[in-house]
Amino acid sequence: MPAEPGPPGISCAGLAKRFPAAGGGLEVVAPFTREFAAGATTALVGPSGCGKSTLLRMIAGLETPSAGSVAIGDETPAEVRARAGLAVSFQDPSLLPWRTVRGNVALALTLARRRAAAGTIDRLLALVGLEGFAGTRPGALSGGMRQRAAIARCLVTEPELLLLDEPFGAVDELTRRQLAHDLPRLWEARGTTTLFVTHSVTEAVLIADRVLVLSPRPARVVADIPVTLDRPRPEGVELTVAFAELAERVSAALARGAAEGGQTGLAAQ
Amino acid sequence: MSAAEAAAAPARRALPGAPLAGVAGLLVVWEALARLPGAEVLLAGPMAVALWLGENGALMARALAVTGAEAAAGFALGNLAAVALALCAVAWPRAERLIAALALLVFCLPLVATGPILRVLYGPGPGPQVTLAALAVYYTTFVPLLVGLRAAPAAWFDVVASYGRGRWAEILHVRLFAAAPYLVAGLQIAAPAAFLGAMVGEFTGAERGMGVLTIRALRALDVEATWALATVAALVSIAVYAAIGAAGRRLLREPPPVLLAPPGAGGGARPGAALGQAALAGGVALALWWGAMEAFGLNAFFAKRPGDVWAFLVTDPGAAAHRAELFGALADTLALAVPGYLAGLAAGAALAVALTLAPGAAAVAMPVAVALRAVPIVTTAPLVVLLMGRGAAGTIALVAVMIFFPVFVAALHGLARAPGQVLDVFESYAAGPLRRLVHAQLPAMLPAFFAAARMSLPAAILAVTVVEWLATGRGVGALMAISASLSDYAMLWSAVVVVALATVAGHALVAAAEARVLARYAGEQRR
Repeated sequence: MPAEPGPPGISCAGLAKRFPAAGGGLEVVAPFTREFAAGATTALVGPSGCGKSTLLRMIAGLETPSAGSVAIGDETPAEVRARAGLAVSFQDPSLLPWRTVRGNVALALTLARRRAAAGTIDRLLALVGLEGFAGTRPGALSGGMRQRAAIARCLVTEPELLLLDEPFGAVDELTRRQLAHDLPRLWEARGTTTLFVTHSVTEAVLIADRVLVLSPRPARVVADIPVTLDRPRPEGVELTVAFAELAERVSAALARGAAEGGQTGLAAQ
Repeated sequence: MSAAEAAAAPARRALPGAPLAGVAGLLVVWEALARLPGAEVLLAGPMAVALWLGENGALMARALAVTGAEAAAGFALGNLAAVALALCAVAWPRAERLIAALALLVFCLPLVATGPILRVLYGPGPGPQVTLAALAVYYTTFVPLLVGLRAAPAAWFDVVASYGRGRWAEILHVRLFAAAPYLVAGLQIAAPAAFLGAMVGEFTGAERGMGVLTIRALRALDVEATWALATVAALVSIAVYAAIGAAGRRLLREPPPVLLAPPGAGGGARPGAALGQAALAGGVALALWWGAMEAFGLNAFFAKRPGDVWAFLVTDPGAAAHRAELFGALADTLALAVPGYLAGLAAGAALAVALTLAPGAAAVAMPVAVALRAVPIVTTAPLVVLLMGRGAAGTIALVAVMIFFPVFVAALHGLARAPGQVLDVFESYAAGPLRRLVHAQLPAMLPAFFAAARMSLPAAILAVTVVEWLATGRGVGALMAISASLSDYAMLWSAVVVVALATVAGHALVAAAEARVLARYAGEQRR
């Protein structure tokens, strides 16, 4: 893969995961081969427990694949992590309870051995709707607020690659819409390559340039749907026919995947 | 609040006045007992103790300063060693089992015999007392700290890993902070243990300090002085215990965990692997022992090497006689230690269970028990001798009391740990308190109970040997005392080795029982 300036694309080749267990082991991710374009936002949609989180963790290099490989640009995930080129938002916000919200966001900078310009953290906290909570400890926040703090932590190091595992799972509906509107603008302006896991069809179509629909475990790609809506999404896009058609295609693919089980997953249409 | 929740949270619901009421009750009972006819030869009440302290304030203050300084130095050194060991174990997980095994072995050294050996090694001065204080504290800090360093959720380490950072960043940014409440809990228990270690060091031959005064008072049958010394030791320990707890609460904003479940004792390991581990630990211990003696060029007359002990017990012409003497004494000691230990375990668990069935009582009893756990019980050994005479009953009672408090506190916390939702399920079926106890609370108690049982095993040996040393003139404690006064260092070292190995074996026995019981009744709680 040619080295090019700017954010790297991701290339997964035969990526698979099987957890050892009695009776031959538990296959969580069937061999997965896909390219993700640099600077694009891709949603991974699938039923709960289908292996999409495992897939994301393998791309981050936090889980060792049973087979296959991941290349980010021309580097391995470990190399990208070593220079703090990626950031992961985990399903559990994983905030350290003894640090304030600001301290938790700053932790990413410390771990990445970086400094941010003055006011960066405050700006990010405002973006995720946590202005006024910089000095609060996670224990005093709601689940959704914690998740938003974790998103701010992901963004503060300005990673080239952003991996978000159900980033809005616990966020209330109103805030979720606001975030779905604001966050893509930020990472598009930065040219970040983004992968996010969700089980919300609407969220996937609203945020992503491309939706990968996965089957129940073991995860296989049932459909690979490009989202042909304008960027940035105009106000009220959810009410348009184009949006509804896309959402319908994703839902249909989900249903098809569920009906066929994890065994005979279709390739992209 | 449902009844189930009320039962689950006795400690948190304690009224602010409850500890005061408990203390006042204790004082009244104590004074009343002291005023019973004929009690004055055994028991000095709080009034008499206060009077004695008023008259001998300067003497007591000097002794307290000496012993306090030794305890403080031992506290600092022992805890530093504990932190260093725990960090090593976490930084090099392959070495963890070896480090834990060596730490346990050193913890099982009989302090009473280690004292005189340290005295000849160090020469005059506070060295032995400080070392014994350090030895008495480091394990009870090491174990909870190790638990705390490993207790963080895996997701926190994923955050560290996602920025490409490794083990040291984990320790620096996550583990150290996550372990802080456990460290505070360990330090709290260490405070009375340090005082105890310093006083045992003074029992075995010091020039100054409260231990020396205690021995003098005991020889003179000075009841007031004996009780006054024990009272001061207890009060100082409780005060430091409380101060560390208060400082911890201010720093941490969350209460330190009271349940100090030590790492599972080789649970799940194959017997062969466990044996190999034990052999490795034994080999390293022998090498360290021999190496230390050689490195400091210590005189072979009093600084015995492994080979000397082997010769004394196995290859010498008189080895059979030596063995007979040592193992005979050990049998005498175990005949007291085992019943006392079992009685302490049973009494601690039984009272905790009884109090759980009457939740109001637990709220009053818990603060008192937590405070009394801070009493360095061995310093009250002379009192028990005064009260119960030099026979078997007195020694057994002391061991039982020594074991009772940590087991009681651990069991009470364990019982309170049964999850509220589980108890609500029982409530919804209108299950009575007894069924709730048997099916939900006892299984929740078992891990804490066994943890306390294992940790307090060396304390049982310490209690017996101290009483034997000071008073009864029988058993391995007396043998150690006689050997020390006769400068029979081969016997003294052999006694240290044999008692330490016996304690480790007892520990392994309890751990094996624990593994079987927990596998059956509390499988999901094993680590």
